This record gives sequence, structure tokens and C-alpha cells, in this order.
Amino acid sequence: MSADSGVRALYLHLPFCARKCAYCDFASWATPAGDPLMSAYAHAIGAQLGEASSLGLFEACETAYVGGGTPTLLGEKGLGQLVEKVVDATAPSEFTCEANPDSLSDEVLRAVRGAGATRLSIGVQSLDDGELYELGRLHDAACARERVTAAVASGLDVSVDLMCATPTQTPESWARTLEGVISLGVAHVSVYPLQIEEGTSLDQRFADDPCVWNDPEVQAERMIQAQVSLEAHGYARYEVASYARAGKECRHNKAYWTGLPYLGLGTGASSMLDVEGYLRLLEVCPQLPATPVETQRVRLTVETPRRELSEDPRLCALSFSLEFLTEPQAVAEDLMLGARLVEGLRPELVVRARELFGGRFDDTIDDLLARGLLAEKSGRLAPTERGWLLGNELYGPLWDLAPGEVRSAKC
Amino acid sequence: MSTTDTSHIRNFSIVAHIDHGKSTISDRILELTHTVEERDMEAQLLDTMDIERERGITIKSNAVRVTYDADDGETYQFNLIDTPGHVDFTYEVSRSLAACEGAVLVVDATQGVEAQTVSNANLAMNANLDIVPAINKIDLPSAEPDRVREEIEEDLAIPADDAVCVSGKTGEGIHDLLEAIVMLVSPPTGDYDAPLKALILDSYFDEYRGVVATVRVFDGHIRKGDQLQMMQAGEGFLVDGVGVKRPAEQLVEELGVGEVGFVVTGLKNPEAVRVGDTLTYASRPCAEALPGYREAKPMVYTGIFPIDNKDYENLRDALEKLHVNDPSLTWSPETSVALGFGFRVGFLGLLHMEVVKERLEREFALSLIATSPSVDYHVYKTDGEMIEVRSPQDLPDVTRIERIEEPYLKAKVIVPPEYTGAVMQLAIEHRGITQDMVYLSEKSVEMHFDVPLAELILDFFDQLKSRTKGYASLDYEFSDYRASDLVKLDILLSGDEVDALSFIVHRDKAYTMARGLCDKLKEIIPRQQFEVPIQGAIGNKIIARSTVKAVRKDVLAKCYGGDISRKRKLLEKQKEGKKRMKQIGSVEVPQEAFLAVLKVDDQ
Repeated sequence: MSADSGVRALYLHLPFCARKCAYCDFASWATPAGDPLMSAYAHAIGAQLGEASSLGLFEACETAYVGGGTPTLLGEKGLGQLVEKVVDATAPSEFTCEANPDSLSDEVLRAVRGAGATRLSIGVQSLDDGELYELGRLHDAACARERVTAAVASGLDVSVDLMCATPTQTPESWARTLEGVISLGVAHVSVYPLQIEEGTSLDQRFADDPCVWNDPEVQAERMIQAQVSLEAHGYARYEVASYARAGKECRHNKAYWTGLPYLGLGTGASSMLDVEGYLRLLEVCPQLPATPVETQRVRLTVETPRRELSEDPRLCALSFSLEFLTEPQAVAEDLMLGARLVEGLRPELVVRARELFGGRFDDTIDDLLARGLLAEKSGRLAPTERGWLLGNELYGPLWDLAPGEVRSAKC
Repeated sequence: MSTTDTSHIRNFSIVAHIDHGKSTISDRILELTHTVEERDMEAQLLDTMDIERERGITIKSNAVRVTYDADDGETYQFNLIDTPGHVDFTYEVSRSLAACEGAVLVVDATQGVEAQTVSNANLAMNANLDIVPAINKIDLPSAEPDRVREEIEEDLAIPADDAVCVSGKTGEGIHDLLEAIVMLVSPPTGDYDAPLKALILDSYFDEYRGVVATVRVFDGHIRKGDQLQMMQAGEGFLVDGVGVKRPAEQLVEELGVGEVGFVVTGLKNPEAVRVGDTLTYASRPCAEALPGYREAKPMVYTGIFPIDNKDYENLRDALEKLHVNDPSLTWSPETSVALGFGFRVGFLGLLHMEVVKERLEREFALSLIATSPSVDYHVYKTDGEMIEVRSPQDLPDVTRIERIEEPYLKAKVIVPPEYTGAVMQLAIEHRGITQDMVYLSEKSVEMHFDVPLAELILDFFDQLKSRTKGYASLDYEFSDYRASDLVKLDILLSGDEVDALSFIVHRDKAYTMARGLCDKLKEIIPRQQFEVPIQGAIGNKIIARSTVKAVRKDVLAKCYGGDISRKRKLLEKQKEGKKRMKQIGSVEVPQEAFLAVLKVDDQ
């Protein structure tokens, strides 16, 4: 069994939050502090980790990410133990924990660092109290500053998530937030324009409102403002929403964009496996369907609810939704994802795409070049400034190269 | 039952204001007479087309035979003839009613007599039908049967002492209604042995049997093997079979005098069988045809184009197939710079257009664009030639036009007196010329005015309904052609004229329409990657403009924890949305933009 047939990244999903934020449609549920469900769930994930590890899936695993939800809600003991298990199973060289300022205590900080985490991604979103209130966040700006400072001081690489085009945000308040996080010395910043998702409380609250604060025009302004401000302070954009100081790019997220296989455990977690990796998982998961012919890539999402998962953590008890991609579909997907990166499309990917799609590929690329969404940069096809803002116009035609429907299944 | 005896036959229609429950009552009748067992009931059984069921309107008429064992111990044959319910289909209504001796007039017990109650009752009385008033929805707490009874007597002058109280929902009173039909509706009269005289109510095309015609026999009888002839269209055929719908088709030995049923003609040419024509024996024809034959003439013409040009041939095939049971449909090829190859299709009215477009899209899986409706203009050129123009594109250069004449209608509106002012105002806004006003009773006024057809087809009917709170009824007939100061209004997107968006309008209205249309298009056309100026022009003169701003941001930045499927699906969803748009030059234009003229509020 060769090492490179396993996954390159591991993601663990903890679907618990102290409160559901107004904009959130992720798999996460408000859970009271100390709810035994959380520790039972963490135990279950730990057990699944062990089971997956015994399959040899992690031999080439380089990065790990504990996300949510709010992992820090587990507390120092719970989260510390889980991080330890991950380190035992995967020995990652980059290990990120997601955190919210309000539950990132000094103890939690010490515990995750002691257990082997290398990186913290903190959900700051804004340094403006009014904006934070509108978003339904539990922390205020002072708390965020203080906890980010502590995290940076702990020696961990710190990333903060920021949100723009949110209710009550102005260019000035956004500038203050950007300057604020820069001055705190974080290594990495992610910038997301707020997306009003169907069914969220934000969506209901503004159902009959034109939401001028979220207008694409405003989103564009804020994205540009963030780019200018961050780049002026030594943060380089490497992905449409991600900025980092030299050498501090998130390798885990880059795995998602570059077609490397990853395993996701926990309710709602997504995995991407090559056929070999999938067959290995199949050894312990007889419920999984056989791969249809010509499958090259399998995408799986854990559909088991958090309670069921806590009660029966065996991998063979999980239910999944699945997608089976052929090689041309996987290549089209890689093109779509590669176009999110500053480095652009890998030359070997372009070569393969040309072999598979022939003239259609060149026609698409020519069109994207002509529309100024893509440009040739140091020998690679990479997104333009315009391509950052109009990403969907760029990704869409690349994904459209994929022939046929993606076959899907549930089990 | 002897075939020569008509005393046990009752032919009737059910007429009502929209939503007063015509279809549910029809369903209950079928149920109570065990024509359809309860378990097979599907709401609104008589309306067989999907679109009819969805919109709750009856487009094509239908005739169903039910057998009723009455309280007098006798068994009756009821022929329930359904009628279309919209002003576009007035002609089909009148043909359906001509096949009946009676009409059940359904009035909602909570709403009382409404506009269409009045107009339908008038149609039925003009056809000399025996009226059976029925007050429906008496199960509702707000039902006021006594008040409604008074309204029927006062507003319609129909004796309502015997009005039957029913509930289509619970089935209450339906038995009484059936008894009332036996008592109040006259049996048909006619001579079994006389030369055949049968009215064609409807026809449809069956791949195996050719044209199948729904008929009402007034004299004579029809059997398989009879050699028959259409008196107006002239075509002859050998009867391949006769039958009735119960509501499933069932072959019978003969359709006797007074009966309603279908005749399998075997004819492959649907045009030969026209609603309103009279069937008779080829060798022994009747003296004269039944009155009222009229070709259903198109009033409105629109361009119908496939979004994907590859579908052109499919669209042609689909039109031909639809034409088989909708002979009023006419079309000729049309070419548009913007939309490619399509057809200019003639319709009875806008509802007809919508229904046809929906059927084409649904039954033939086509994605279509309909362009602004036009009427049939008579354009007199300076060289003396007159040409008929049904599409703005066909209008000659202004320098070669001597004058343009447009069709005028004589419109008749019946309305309660308090709305006469509103109707007059509406008429003025639509270039109508009021002729006179007659008080029919204290509660209704009949107003006559001349109005250009082009004005009527846009939003007149909807406006009339809304400004009179639904009370007005409208009927119209062609009057004459009159010269008008008409101009072609062009729309330019990003500086390029889009022929499919042009339309013909009166000069006095051109500015308001141009402004309204530019604004409406700005709402409809989504933001593109670049700014899209929209201009309205007459000739070279720009008279209105608006701008669709460029979209500056369209990207899903969020990571979604490696859930790539979700990102992909969002892109696919976006693409689906674009498929419903037409690429014109570099601008993506949604289907509905081409009918934006119907949505312009020109007030």
C-alpha cells in the first residue's frame, strides 16, 4: 500500500456553537455549555479518527483542521484531547484550530498549543461593535482585540476571518477593522463578503429589504479596499478570499483548491478521495456503493446527524451523500478551483485539460482571456483583478468543460 | 331508451363567474351519477389539459355524458357541455351554448352576482336556454343564499325562487340540482329520420383515428359507415365510429337525434373540421346549415422564437401538432436579426397566446421567446400599394408610407353605474371614442365605444377588471380600419437596435411608452459585466434612455470547509438561469424582456 494513496489533509467538524449567528447556514447548532453531547461527539470523532488511521489513510497527511461550529466550545480538556488524537494519527506539519474570541480562553490556547496545534483561525468578523451585534456575534471588538493579541503572543500562527458588506458597515468602519487586525500582527486574513443565505435569520430579517449594504457594488468596493489595505501591509493575496504574510498561506485550504485528497469527519464534513482511497474506506464501510465505471474522484459528505454519530461512531454506521467524478469532470473541477488561486492553473493541469477537451478548452480560455478574467502571468494562466471580483464568470465556463452529469448517490 | 325519443335527454352547460365553482360542481355531478367513482376523482376532471388545471380555466370545450336515475324512476341521459371561460374564447362559448337546451348558472353564495355572472347569463339567455340557477358554496360560514337569490332576480331578471343551494365542496344539494335539471331544462327536439344536421363543437386530432369531432345532433342520427359531409368546409368522409365520453371514450352504435358525442372522421386534415360547421349526410343533405359558423380569426400576432436556434424545426413541428386541435392558430416564418428564425403566430387574444406558448414549452420541451404583440395594420404606401403588416419589422420606411390604418373594435362594456366614470376614463386613455350609454337596469349600464384593437390587447382587459373591481364585462367585435398617426418605436441595447423589441405605437403615446419601456427593461435585464445603455428611438431620434449598470462583483468567496460540490452546484444554478436568457450581441436578455411592453404602466 503506497503512502500517496491516502489523504493529504484531514478535516474534523464540530457542529456546536454557543449561539447561531444571523448569517450562518453551516452544519452547526446552538448548544449549551457543558452539554454532554459535545464530549460524546468529540469522543466519537476520536474513535473514527482511530479507525480511519488503522486503514493507513493518513500516511501522507500533511495538514489538519478542526473547524465548526466553534471547536473552542469543547473547552481546554476536550479540545486538547482531540488535538492530541489528531497529532497521534496524522502528525501534521500544519494544524489549524478554529476559534471564536468569546470561548478562546488562555487555558484553551495553552491546551491546543501544548497538544500540537500550529495555527488558530479566529472568527473575528469585525472590530466594530455595531456590526458584530448585527451579525449576532457573541463577542465585542474589545474582546476580539484582546484574544487575538493573546493568540499571537502564544506563538501560534494566527488567522482572522473578516466579513464585509454587512449591515451598518461603512467604508470607514471597514478601514478601521482592517487596520485593527493588521496592527494586531496576525499572519493571515480571510475576507468574505457576507452572503445572505436562504433560511438564515438574516434572510428573514431582511426579506423585504433591498439590502443596499450587501449590494454587489458594495461588496466589490469592500473587497478592493481590503486588498489595497492588506497588500500595503505585507499581506499577499494567494486566493480570492485569503491573504497571508510570506510563508503563512494556509496549506490546508490550498489542498482544497489544488485537487489533493482529504478526509472530513463529523456531521456535514466533506471528503475528497481518489479511487484508491475510496476503496480503502470501503473496506470498513460496506454501506458505501461501488464506484461507477470511469470514476476518478469521489466526493463524500457525512449525513449522519450529530446525536446518532455520537451514539454509534463506527465508520460503517455513517450515512453519506456521494458524488463520483470522471477524469474529465475532475480536471474541470481542478481548473475551476485553480482559477481561485493567484498562482493560477498548474501547467500539467492545463496540458491534461487540452488533451481531454481539445479545441473546447482553448476556446474557453481564449474567451476568458478576451473578457479580461484570466491573463498569462509568468507563464501561467491566472486570474486578473477583474477575475477576483467576477470569479463566477471565470469558474463557471471552466466547470462547464466537464462532460455529462456528475453521478451521485446516497447511502 | 329509444333512440328516436329525446324526452329523456338533457343537454346543458354550466356557466359561472371565475372561481364561483363551476369545475367542482361538474366533478360532483360526475361523482353522484357514478360516472366516475370517487377513488378515480381528480379535481376538475373535465379540464384535461395541464395548463387548464393549473390555471383553473377551461380552454377547450368538452362534453361528457352521464346517466342519471331520477326520483321519478326514469333514467335520463345528461350531456354536460363545458365551456371556455375567458373573453378570448367567446366564440367557442357561443358554439357550446348553441348545443344546449339549458344552462346551470352558478353563483357564489358569498360573493353574489359578479361581472361574468351577468355576461354569461346574458349569453345563455340570448341562446334561449332554460336557466337553472344554483347558489354554490353554501357550506361557507359567510354564505348568504337569500341575498344572492335576490341579486339573481334583481340583477339578472331570472326567477330564483327555485334556485338550488349547493356545495361543490361537500356535495350537498347536488342531487336537488340534478332533479332541477330534469324539471327545468327542456328535452331537445328534432327529427330522427330527417336529413342529418349536427353542430361541430370541438375537434381534436388523434394519430390513429384522424380528426375526432365533438358534435351535437339536431336532426337525424349518425352511425359508423355513414357518408357525411361538412356543409361549410365541404369535405366529406366515411364515419369510422361514433361514441361518447363518460368521460373515458366509449364507442356507441349511434348518436341519435338530440344527443352529443364524438365522430371519428378519419380525416388527416384538421383544417377541414371547423368548430361551428354543420355535419350532414352526403347523399341527403339538410336544407341549410346551422347558423353562427365563423372562422376563429386571429386578432393578435406575436413573434415566437426558440431561444436555441437549433429548435426552429422542432418549433415548426410543435406548431403543426398544436394546430390539429387548435385550428385558430396561424403562423408564418419570421426572421429577426436579434432572435434568428422563428414564426409570426396569430392568436385569438393574449390569453390564447400565453396558453399556446406554455403548451409549446411544456408539451414539446421548447424554450421560447414571445415578442411584443401586434395587430394586423394596413399600410398604404406612397406607390398606392396596400400591405398588411403584422410585425413591426415589416413596416416600410416612413418615407414610403402614405398612411397606416389600424383595426378598430366596437366594444361593449356592461358595468354597474358607479363605474361608468372609471370606464370612460380608461377608454380615453386607450384612445377609445365613447358612442353611447344605455341603462339596462338600475344596476347595470351598457357602454359602447370604439377603440383600437392594439390598445385593447395590451392591458385594457386587466385594467378594466381592476378599475371596476371585476364588475365590468367586455365583449367586442371588429368594426373597421381607421387611419392613425402610428410610429415604430425601436429599442437599442448598447447602441444596437434590437428588432425583436420594436413595436408600433400611436405617436402621442410614443414618449411615455418609450420611457416606460426603457425603465422596465432596466429592471428586467440583469446587470452584466459591462454597462448596458437602453435607448428608445423613433427613426434616428432617441426619445428615452436608461442604463443597466455593470455588475462589479459576482464571486462566491466562502470556503465552505472543502464542500466543493456546493460551489459547483451554485455555479450550475447560475448557468441554468442564464439558459433562459437570449444572448443579443454581448447582452444577455431574459425572455420576459421581449414582452416588457405588456408590463409598462403608461399612466
